[in-house]
Amino acid sequence: MPFKDHRDFIETLKKTDDVIEITKEVDWDLEAGAISRRMYEMGGPSIWFKKVKDYPEAFTLYNGSLGTWCRVAIALGLPPETPVREIYRTYEERLEKPIEPAIVEKKKAPCKENILLGDQVDLYRFPAPMIHEGDGGRYIGTWDLVVTKDPETGWTNWGMYRFMIHNKRWLAGWPQPTSQLAYQMIKYYLPRNEPMPAALVIGADPIAHMVATAPFRLGEDEAKFAGALRKEPIELVQCETCDLLVPAHSEIVIEGEIPTDQIVPDGPFGEYPGYRSGTMAEGVGFKVKAITYRNNPILTMIALGVPIDDSSIAASLTAGVAMKRGLKHRGIPVVDVYAPPEGVTHLIYVSVKKGGIELSREVLDYFTARRVMVSKVIVLDEDVNIFDNGQVLHAFATKCHPGRGIVVEHYEGRANSLTPCYSPKERERLKGASVAFDATWPLEWPQEIIPIKASFKTIYSKEIQEKVVQNWEAYGFK
Amino acid sequence: MKREYLTFVRQFKDLKEGTQKLFVKDLTPGPRKYDTKYVKAEISSDPEKMRNGDILRIRSESGILLPQPWGIKILEELSESVTGQPWQDVFRTIENL
Repeated sequence: MPFKDHRDFIETLKKTDDVIEITKEVDWDLEAGAISRRMYEMGGPSIWFKKVKDYPEAFTLYNGSLGTWCRVAIALGLPPETPVREIYRTYEERLEKPIEPAIVEKKKAPCKENILLGDQVDLYRFPAPMIHEGDGGRYIGTWDLVVTKDPETGWTNWGMYRFMIHNKRWLAGWPQPTSQLAYQMIKYYLPRNEPMPAALVIGADPIAHMVATAPFRLGEDEAKFAGALRKEPIELVQCETCDLLVPAHSEIVIEGEIPTDQIVPDGPFGEYPGYRSGTMAEGVGFKVKAITYRNNPILTMIALGVPIDDSSIAASLTAGVAMKRGLKHRGIPVVDVYAPPEGVTHLIYVSVKKGGIELSREVLDYFTARRVMVSKVIVLDEDVNIFDNGQVLHAFATKCHPGRGIVVEHYEGRANSLTPCYSPKERERLKGASVAFDATWPLEWPQEIIPIKASFKTIYSKEIQEKVVQNWEAYGFK
Repeated sequence: MKREYLTFVRQFKDLKEGTQKLFVKDLTPGPRKYDTKYVKAEISSDPEKMRNGDILRIRSESGILLPQPWGIKILEELSESVTGQPWQDVFRTIENL
């Protein structure tokens, strides 16, 4: 049975010691963020802060839903120790069978247990954390999903975008200008000068947040992929102030609109690449019209930073598989794609059936065609297990020719402005570069000159291998 | 007791003394800490010279804190938001590429 909500999920995590409940009072102002960050860096469990300073005990904070592969496996209903490669396979297979969401009546939706409308709206009712020292504000939307819609096609997008409290009625955020939210805004709302309805969802079931990090193609509804991964429809309910549909079992839903003629400042914020790097902007304003929430709401958060955390893990999976789909669609003979969490989707491994520098160039073309989130790609032969960083490093070190094995592409207007190595000027112009490292054998080399990998499985005959394996204990080894 | 406010600038040199319009965050402890206001205010790099002024802390675009705070005297609270289009800074730049 899939998890209906975050509460079910937290209960299950208790069985594997993947959650710790803190009953000592913790300050929302930096303390909760610092504890959470330290715990990520220790590889520890998720944390449920049960008593937050300045707030009633019914209002709690929870950090780290999917901060380890083990918790991702649990969220997908797999055994906790499932290898990463297997998690990728499961995710990829399940996406092949999208399941339409189920719409439920408002009275059956837990997220409607409390409704604040109009003047009742006050974002300070919730213990939004000040996550890092020096951030631009209290980010209530970190482990969130933001729902927006293209009225012409009916396409509903879910994206995970940061939003901080500006004042009691306004949020400020910065979905990147290359994001799908921005695409909808630019395509429909800006030309008509109409505010865009939006809903910021906090604490839906863990799969819903995971798919919100996924770069599905334009026009694809994340809700049906959430159903695919859950193997059951996700239940949605209509908002109070617009026709958007949101997960019915969410903890908190903030409804409002993004004006086309008003802005508020956003950031800076310690972001997913692991730095706070000049990410201050004339941000997107979000004028709140209603807040609905469950009794005893749990505000989910992520103390973003250096990997590994929820963001780097979820994006590894969702982006990695999306890239594999995209490369296949482009006719690349791709075997696997792995976005190692440590590479924060800036570094991607791609294994292919047949390599060569021209193919590496084609791979790079795919990654730089539209919005560019990836700056480094290593292309590898299929004999490399790309889920093993050691194998990738070895192949990169030995097979990538320093002179002719590197392809670089420069671009403007579509780079990832959160990439820390870009200068302020480059960030402003969305100017960047991406590189492919070809760690495959050149296609023109005849078979007989290709170096033989000196590993047990590749440099000895089957007969010798079998003999050694069969006699292993006889040699005195355990 | 002086109140404390916080503002952000891309670089410290961007901040000019005198009467300015700027966004400030109220650092008064409590559940509304960091509430943001758009204000017209007189600001000075020397808080001692500003009679009845409050403290203005300043951070850069990377969140680095300027060691010495400035002084601020809020003259008027303005609107909650300012006129503008989402991503206008990026679009402006891209149009000029």
